[in-house]
Amino acid sequence: MHAVMFSIQYGLYGSYYGREVSFVAMELPASAANRKDRGLFRKFKDYFWGMMFLLPAIAVFCLFLWTPIAKGIVYSFMNIDFVNGSYFVGFENYREVFASRDTGIAVRNTIYYMFLGIVIGFWVPSLVAIAISELRWFQGSMRLLVYLPNIVPAVVLYTMWQYLYDPLGPINQFLSWFGMDTILWLADKGMAMIAIVISETWQNFGTTTLIYLAAVVGIPKDQYEAAEIDGAGVLQRIRYITIPGIRHIFVLLFIMQLIGTSQGFQTHIAMTGGGPNNATLTYMYQLTNEAFTRFDYGKASAMGVLMFVVLTTLSIGLYAYQGRSKNA
Amino acid sequence: MSSPRERSIMSVFDFKKPFVLIGYGIMLISLAALAVSMLYPFGTTIFTSFKTKKEVFTFPPSFFPEQLQFSNYLEGFKYVDLNGAFWNTLILFAGNAIIPMIVVAFAGFSLSQMKLPFRKGFTLFFMCTLMIPSATYLIPNFLNLQSLGFIDSYWALWLPAGANAFNIMLLKSFFDGIHTELFEAARIDGASELRCFFQLAVPMSIPVFSTLLIFAFTYTWNDWYWTSLVITTPDKLPIAPVIYHNITQSANLALNTKFSVLTVVMIPPLVFFLIFQKNIIHGLNLSAVKG
Repeated sequence: MHAVMFSIQYGLYGSYYGREVSFVAMELPASAANRKDRGLFRKFKDYFWGMMFLLPAIAVFCLFLWTPIAKGIVYSFMNIDFVNGSYFVGFENYREVFASRDTGIAVRNTIYYMFLGIVIGFWVPSLVAIAISELRWFQGSMRLLVYLPNIVPAVVLYTMWQYLYDPLGPINQFLSWFGMDTILWLADKGMAMIAIVISETWQNFGTTTLIYLAAVVGIPKDQYEAAEIDGAGVLQRIRYITIPGIRHIFVLLFIMQLIGTSQGFQTHIAMTGGGPNNATLTYMYQLTNEAFTRFDYGKASAMGVLMFVVLTTLSIGLYAYQGRSKNA
Repeated sequence: MSSPRERSIMSVFDFKKPFVLIGYGIMLISLAALAVSMLYPFGTTIFTSFKTKKEVFTFPPSFFPEQLQFSNYLEGFKYVDLNGAFWNTLILFAGNAIIPMIVVAFAGFSLSQMKLPFRKGFTLFFMCTLMIPSATYLIPNFLNLQSLGFIDSYWALWLPAGANAFNIMLLKSFFDGIHTELFEAARIDGASELRCFFQLAVPMSIPVFSTLLIFAFTYTWNDWYWTSLVITTPDKLPIAPVIYHNITQSANLALNTKFSVLTVVMIPPLVFFLIFQKNIIHGLNLSAVKG
């Protein structure tokens, strides 16, 4: 009886006292059943506020993230019809996705887009970061400057670059100074995707540059000192000290860029509308087309699930590869 | 010794070698070129917005306008109701900032500083969602909001904004940096958990809150795709979708008129950035450290 009173009394004072109280209470005479009750009650008091603080997040995550994810998997096996009711169709949606000619085009375009993103965009930030870290003056302004394009709203970016890429626009004028022919950037089948990647690189490379920069600046300076004393040249120092120092970020940003670009579609919608001749129709673009123009939600969900399978396999594979090469 | 500046990759001695100097010079020139290419598109956008219609269509295009035609701006505002869209953006931003911040801060504090059962399980529950591509739940999310009856209401954007594992991770790592002893001392002195949170944790985390504010602002100001899917009444749309439908996608508007509106749209984020640049860079570094 006494012991129960104790725990209630202390419980009211706040969960944190629980630990000390239990020490005192243990020595008081109490039956085994009572002690068990007290433990449960104290546990509840201990965890009560922690759970209360977590509750809104759990609710929001369940409602707006986990439910859609689960629904997506279920929908991928269904024919969604809001008027006549939905019904299960088994793997029919998946079969349609694989049979569709557009999916093939979209997948090829997306892989090409990811590839271009790496060839044109991936190496830029690390190089710029190393260069900026070596600046003696204007380092701060340069940091601001590379981040500036990030501030441009995407809707402004689209028109801006459509103007720059115009057959009679500034970029073609610039090329004509070097005697090059006019390039139909956005209207040419071979150039449209490249044009999109260049404009996206322009906008986004600032973020990654600053991430690299933080890592480059964080490398201990005495390593360079020691290397210099040992006779290593500037390029050797970059090769053997700086680059290994930012390697872990390299791998991480590589994976993040692959995941990001594999889902790119908004610039494609806005700048080329998937054209010319489906040359910029990406997988995600195709997915939204299925959903919002053909209203085939089941097929779109199936495409989403396939995306998840592929990307998860890819990132697990890359992480495993990274882990193995680190151990070796 | 004589140089007060800390060395970086190159030391003072390297600068005496001719090859290094040439390399450094090339690097400086490329950085200067980079700086120009960063600024040039801004320049053309702003200057084109002042050009006359005739000048826009001349080849080769000029960078500076021959004369400043301010009437482009009056012309441009005929095509969009920027005033209404601006207020919509502000309302949307207020919700996008406050509601997720409450959710995320409580969760981050709980995961970091409070007694919790199954802490690992809960952390996994949140962090797993980072691994799932948005492609997987884009369509079901839309259908889900539809079945909840949120379509065409700002709640459809405010509430899901709280389901952001990245921000929870950001807040958790920030609270991890505060010494536990501080909260233990407060608890021993009789402070409740709510008081620990509001009177100790919140005042200390102003910098990380401002990072969240910035994220919310950039998102609200820039997102045109998802917002225009969820909000169906044109009068309720914020700036980005309004501009997208009326300006970016408009085929018959002249470039000078288009750019006059776009210049106006570009200015608030620029001002916002220049004021909060320290916090933005800080937020970036936080996310980098996380990686």
